[in-house]
Amino acid sequence: MAEVEGEPGSSMHGVTGREQTFAFSVASPIVPTDPTAKFDLPVDSEHKAKVFKLFSLANPHMRTFHLSWISFFTCFVSTFAAAPLVPIIRDNLNLTKQDIGNAGVASVSGSIFSRLVMGAVCDLLGPRYGCAFLIMLSAPTVFCMSFVSDAGGYLAVRFMIGFSLATFVSCQYWMSTMFNSKIIGLVNGTAAGWGNMGGGATQLLMPLVFDIIGRVGATPFTAWRIAFFIPGCLHIIMGIMVLTLGQDLPDGNLAALQKKGDVAKDQFSKVLWHAITNYRTWIFVLLYGYSMGVELSTDNVIAEYFYDRFNLKLHTAGIIAATFGMANLVARPFGGFASDRAARYFGMRGRLWTLWILQTLGGVFCICLGRANSLPIAVFAMILFSVGAQAACGATFGIIPFISRRSLGIISGLTGAGGNFGSGLTQLVFFSSSAFSTATGLSLMGVMIVCCTLPVTLVHFPQWGSMFLPPSKDVVKSTEEFYYGAEWNEEEKQKGLHQQSLRFAENSRSERGRRVASAPTPPNTTPSHV
Amino acid sequence: MASTGILLASLLLLSCLAETSHGVLFSSLKQTLIVTASPKEGQVYKAGVDKLTVSWGLNQSFPAGSDSTYKTIKVKFCYAPVSQVDRGWRKTVDSLSKDKTCQFKVVARPYSSSNQSFEWTIERDVPSATYFLRAYAYDAADVEVAYGQTTDAHKATNLFVVQGITGRHTSLDIASICFSAFSVLSLAGFFIAEKRKAKSSHEK
Repeated sequence: MAEVEGEPGSSMHGVTGREQTFAFSVASPIVPTDPTAKFDLPVDSEHKAKVFKLFSLANPHMRTFHLSWISFFTCFVSTFAAAPLVPIIRDNLNLTKQDIGNAGVASVSGSIFSRLVMGAVCDLLGPRYGCAFLIMLSAPTVFCMSFVSDAGGYLAVRFMIGFSLATFVSCQYWMSTMFNSKIIGLVNGTAAGWGNMGGGATQLLMPLVFDIIGRVGATPFTAWRIAFFIPGCLHIIMGIMVLTLGQDLPDGNLAALQKKGDVAKDQFSKVLWHAITNYRTWIFVLLYGYSMGVELSTDNVIAEYFYDRFNLKLHTAGIIAATFGMANLVARPFGGFASDRAARYFGMRGRLWTLWILQTLGGVFCICLGRANSLPIAVFAMILFSVGAQAACGATFGIIPFISRRSLGIISGLTGAGGNFGSGLTQLVFFSSSAFSTATGLSLMGVMIVCCTLPVTLVHFPQWGSMFLPPSKDVVKSTEEFYYGAEWNEEEKQKGLHQQSLRFAENSRSERGRRVASAPTPPNTTPSHV
Repeated sequence: MASTGILLASLLLLSCLAETSHGVLFSSLKQTLIVTASPKEGQVYKAGVDKLTVSWGLNQSFPAGSDSTYKTIKVKFCYAPVSQVDRGWRKTVDSLSKDKTCQFKVVARPYSSSNQSFEWTIERDVPSATYFLRAYAYDAADVEVAYGQTTDAHKATNLFVVQGITGRHTSLDIASICFSAFSVLSLAGFFIAEKRKAKSSHEK
């Protein structure tokens, strides 16, 4: 009998498909270990790691993980570095509320486009160069803050710094070359969550740096410009580390391995078509705009809000604002974990309900945050709001892998872009006009979160049902194979291009929840273990 | 889990709506002080460089003894309405504990019945805006009891402009350019070096 490593419940025969979306490791019979490979971690036949050992720096897998998430973290730090210093910057540059709001919108808009380009860059140059190019070419934009003297310049520089958020794509792409697909969910979720923490860390770091520079003797209007050298230098340091310590693939760098070419490439137009014609894609684009999007918006406004509303010192406001972003350390993984737990008992319905509950609660606490008149209540509401919104982000990516197998990459990309778009929109509508105060803006944003989370009730999978409706009664349509097979036409099926989708369909039967044992054998598919 | 969450949320909402206590209201203060300053209407001053002189004293038309409670005088630099437009962080509110009109302290002195004056170099953290000067009289409990200002009740006359420092320095600009150049050049250097190494190992 082969030994079983890893989490409880992983079946010896590997066919009941009870693997979680987030798992720490993959047991041997499910994915065989390559015995000839000489890596620190057990690897599969592609030399991708099967185990996620968090506190190791083993080359290349875990080293890549750490280089990757820290690069993404650094870009978050520089994109939101201006936010806690806005009380100083607004006086230096004579900004109005519209100027501040517009710059906030600009800071998250740039990456909508840069993330799309980054995918192509990773394909051409590899994720290592993709990451290094972006992070080192955006370092000059961070240093440009020392030249800014009016609202227009401020907006332009924040827009350009925002391009660096495309490191999200290189980060996720790089992880997928290094880690087996069965654990990629947790790996990517952790990398994304820890990268997002940069938005919180910067609220702590920048006022601290500003304070120290002020004590050394600089006047405030110069000190904030000097403070921007810190994120700029972090960019350069991380860029050099990625170039010297990183590698594209477990076996080496991309150029050397591109000759092999044994991965069959899918047709981009087909993949795009299946992504955009699936209505569930658009519902999740909207939803992510109101979980990740509001998180980014709040990163931009929360420090200034606490400074003004409760008359706090700059670094006190920064500490409070930091707890919002830092909650990502545990909140986002918690969302994924909660989604998996719910799926174990209730299948996909459990995942959808978990997402709805987390995101709606986040919205309710956002309303409270805006209405709170005393500091302790405001802080308490903010923390609960952050946990709700960030856990919802994690829960969203617990469902996204199941929307489509063929177009997963594009759907993830579109969802990510939806997050940034939602952020730009909420900042434009609620935080850029003097018609109402920031406090009212926060409450209205909370109301919008609650309303825009309702469409999740419309997400229906024929094989698993939805929040309120049961799965389809049709014997053929209610199978996972039918749903995932429907993305391929007959010609492609003849060529056997859909085999990966079929394997995925079989594994996804776990989304039926406790009803897995009673699932009938689908009529037209051959079980792979015959 | 959802029901306890909703209960918690409604409890929070109720407690959120509790009002905080008010401070002294500006409208309750008497304008018993006369404040004059050297800046004339529309004059432009440079922060960090120019000086202004402010003088204050009790308005003699008030009965003697009105100033019996005054213990300290604080003179403040206040934003004119034109600099408050679209800037909620400079808003004028009647409750003095929440009022953000006057954010810079010029001088604080113990009160004396004779007229006093003070020469002040405009500090370098004063932003570019239009200003007037206001003096508050405080009693022994450090609560505002009276005020006086250089402008009229509508804050429309006798306003002057301060041009703040840019905060930019040539040395900072140069450092910025150097660091940026280093970043771009080291990236290019790495890329070219690796391409050369790959080419030479390929040729072997």
